[in-house]
Amino acid sequence: MATRIQFENNCEVGVFSKLTNAYCLVAIGGSENFYSVFESELADVIPVVKTSIGGTRIIGRLCAGNKNGLLLPHTTTDQELQHLRNSLPDHVVVQRIEERLSALGNCISCNDHVALTHPDLDRETEELIADVLGVEVFRQTVAGNILVGSYCAFSNRGGLVHPHTSVEDLDELSTLLQVPLVAGTVNRGSEVIAAGMTVNDWTAFCGSDTTATELSVIESVFKLREAQPSSIVDEMRKSLIDTYGQPTTFYDLLPQLFMSIMNLYPLLTGNVI
Amino acid sequence: MVQYNFKKTTVVPSGKDFIDIILSRTQRQTPTVVHKGYAISRLREFYMRKVKFTQQNFHEKLSAIIDDFPRLDDIHPFYGDLLRLLYDKDHYKLALGQVNTARNIIGKIAKDYVRLLKYGDSLYRCKSLKVAALGRMCTVIKGISTSLAYLEQVRQHMARLPSIDPNTRTLLICGYPNVGKSSFVNKITRADVDVQPYAFTTKSLFVGHTDYKYLRYQVIDTPGILDRPIEERNIIEMCSITALAHIKAAVLFFLDLSGSCGYSIEQQAALFHSIKRLFMNKPLVIVCNKIDLQPLEGLSEEDMKLVMDMKAEAIKSVIAQGGDSNDEGVLLTMSTMTDEGVIAVKNAACERLLNQRVEIKMKSKKINDVLNRFHVAIPKPRDTKERPPCIPPAILEARAKANVETEKRKLEKDLEEENGGAGVYSASLKKHYILDDEEWKEDIMPEILDGHNVYDFIDPDILQRLEELEREEGFRLETEADDDFEMDGKELTEEEQALLAEIRRKKKLLIQEHRIKKSTAESRPIVPRKFDKDNKYTTERMGRELSALGMNPTSAINRVRSRSISRRGRKRERSLGREGEAMDIDNDQSNKKLRAMSRSRSASRSRSKSRPPGEVTPGEGFKDSTQKQKAIKIAKKSVKVRNKNARKGEADRVIPNLKPKHLFSGKRSIGKTSRR
Repeated sequence: MATRIQFENNCEVGVFSKLTNAYCLVAIGGSENFYSVFESELADVIPVVKTSIGGTRIIGRLCAGNKNGLLLPHTTTDQELQHLRNSLPDHVVVQRIEERLSALGNCISCNDHVALTHPDLDRETEELIADVLGVEVFRQTVAGNILVGSYCAFSNRGGLVHPHTSVEDLDELSTLLQVPLVAGTVNRGSEVIAAGMTVNDWTAFCGSDTTATELSVIESVFKLREAQPSSIVDEMRKSLIDTYGQPTTFYDLLPQLFMSIMNLYPLLTGNVI
Repeated sequence: MVQYNFKKTTVVPSGKDFIDIILSRTQRQTPTVVHKGYAISRLREFYMRKVKFTQQNFHEKLSAIIDDFPRLDDIHPFYGDLLRLLYDKDHYKLALGQVNTARNIIGKIAKDYVRLLKYGDSLYRCKSLKVAALGRMCTVIKGISTSLAYLEQVRQHMARLPSIDPNTRTLLICGYPNVGKSSFVNKITRADVDVQPYAFTTKSLFVGHTDYKYLRYQVIDTPGILDRPIEERNIIEMCSITALAHIKAAVLFFLDLSGSCGYSIEQQAALFHSIKRLFMNKPLVIVCNKIDLQPLEGLSEEDMKLVMDMKAEAIKSVIAQGGDSNDEGVLLTMSTMTDEGVIAVKNAACERLLNQRVEIKMKSKKINDVLNRFHVAIPKPRDTKERPPCIPPAILEARAKANVETEKRKLEKDLEEENGGAGVYSASLKKHYILDDEEWKEDIMPEILDGHNVYDFIDPDILQRLEELEREEGFRLETEADDDFEMDGKELTEEEQALLAEIRRKKKLLIQEHRIKKSTAESRPIVPRKFDKDNKYTTERMGRELSALGMNPTSAINRVRSRSISRRGRKRERSLGREGEAMDIDNDQSNKKLRAMSRSRSASRSRSKSRPPGEVTPGEGFKDSTQKQKAIKIAKKSVKVRNKNARKGEADRVIPNLKPKHLFSGKRSIGKTSRR
């Protein structure tokens, strides 16, 4: 089931939350609305934890994790680290790492078995990722973007990548990750996939700008309902062609550009000061 | 994409308002104070400015009107034709033309009068010229006030036009009046079009939106059309014709089989054939409505033939587009009354429109850029490792009984509502901690303890490590027990034992002594032992103690004596002479008197024998006499100024009465007495 939500009138929900199969981290907001959406969906099954990282709310872009562990940037304070250790179950290893690229969420994208990383990460960090998260690590780019964590999102069942990923790249990535992949968008054409949504094996949360077409692509590729990824080729094909085939002008993309520049500085640089 | 939204056109003020607006702005935004005594160039400048400013404002306002109204030739032909139809093209163009002319005339007037103002020779003349200029401008605007009023009406009407996007997916519904077009629109959209049982209920275009296969479709409800030559059609019908002619849409031609609309099937068929040219290249669906009154099968033979003719015509158009000749989705029956077939009609129309659009798009070049989006990359196996998804069983269970109404969990949001809402309620972050003991949750933990960051010492495996250490220690103890190395009193000889006892006794004594001294010494400074304040560490004592230990002290004493005395500082010695003198004194003198005298003498002697200022005495803290002298010099220098000012010390800030009154009062003038 994919849910459409907003964080304080902002559709980039993947920035303010981190969802895995064993836990869910949520930014501390002005009200409990955002948290409660996650709580109602997940709290019976996995812990939903309100936290900040390094005093910021952009936790989804700063940390990386899966059901085995959680990697935190060096900007994380001792208190936050302890809070997370206390809140997460014992089998989740919480580790703070000394990596120059501190927006780990932008640099690492992973499921429970495989991780894609920024090509410039330290070798030590790479080892830590493999150890703590228990994954195979591949240094990769997505459609020429080095911030793999921003431009793709995948679970153990499927994945969505940057809309400009070529068919060959899609096939290659899919073989690496061993999950079906589709190129697509969220939030009415936003290409920063991981910023616009957050997903695990049985549920997804998207920004409230996400269109019905985008949502159904997401539900199919992540197998959130009975739908299978193949339905994108079969029954949704026509809708997709009619949506994407429309001429898009620079002005249609303007609000999006503005959004990404204004709110998502870390997305652009991969680094948080 | 160009959006057609006429709601943002600015209001066109009426001629009178227009003049008021402009003139009051001139009054407010240009200087108002002038005097006839000013230089003539300044006067001219003053009035020229007024004229120019007024002209500028007129120009801006009129230009805004001209730009805001759409130019019928530039916008989408659908809107172009619609506006042409609704507002009478000539009138519309004429009005805008007049506005444009007025703008030019005003420009010319301003130019002329500015030129005249250059020759104005007095305040009065300049002023008259300005009044004339503004008056003529206002007259021009008065002249176009009818056009302005017309444009305002057009604006208001345009703002109420439905916002139809001519390029998007559209279903267009047409047919005779009263055949159930609006009812259908109401069924599939939320447009809420007025439905009445008489012809021409719908007088203009209405728009609703519906969804099909994740896409949004625009549904346009058109007014009914009668079958007559195009010249005779009224404006209401022409709206429909315009929409049919210009919008690329799926057309739903509605037929009323029952004839309850007042028109026979024959008439309707005639209409179909007369406007069928407008359906060219568009997916066409013939919808037979009101089958609850008259099912298709129950039609008479001639009527059936007419319907089948239309169907054949529709299929022909499908084939002309290169489609296959199957007839499904071309002729459909439904009843908006009973909802029978309504959704089928919508789906058929949407599907055919979608197919057509997809076909066109697949032929375009742009599709190559987005081909990757229709590709699902299926992984090729690269190893034999199993990578299963990880879904907790609780989720699967919940899915299995999704229909069962489960008890709703109390959310943080509800708690927030109950406790004063956002900004007031603050949830504890520790609420959901997973700890061994529930009671530990709210424990307060210091961040800094004894100057150390507590978190630096937190170690998740501390218990495990402690265990390891303990084990290691136990092992070490065991091995030590094996080596029989022991420190025990029993192994010592008698003599050694005695020595040990002596050492311990001495230590105890020293400690006691130290404590006594500490308790009585109050805050006296602790002087290092080497200065030997109490005169305890004498050579005699050393000799005594050494000999008590059974050693010969001679060499040690000699060694100490041979050392230079300067190192230790010289001790003051009792004057021997005085002592000798005292011995000579008779014993008659009372002991007491003698002692008193001796004391006073010794005091005076000691003063007279005082050391030179530079001499170093132990305990003063100077290295040598030069250092001391230097220090004395500095000390003297530091008080020199203060002494000169007759100050007692640093804290002496007394300001004495500089002019005591008793010395300066009185009637005598200065100089008569030297001192009062």
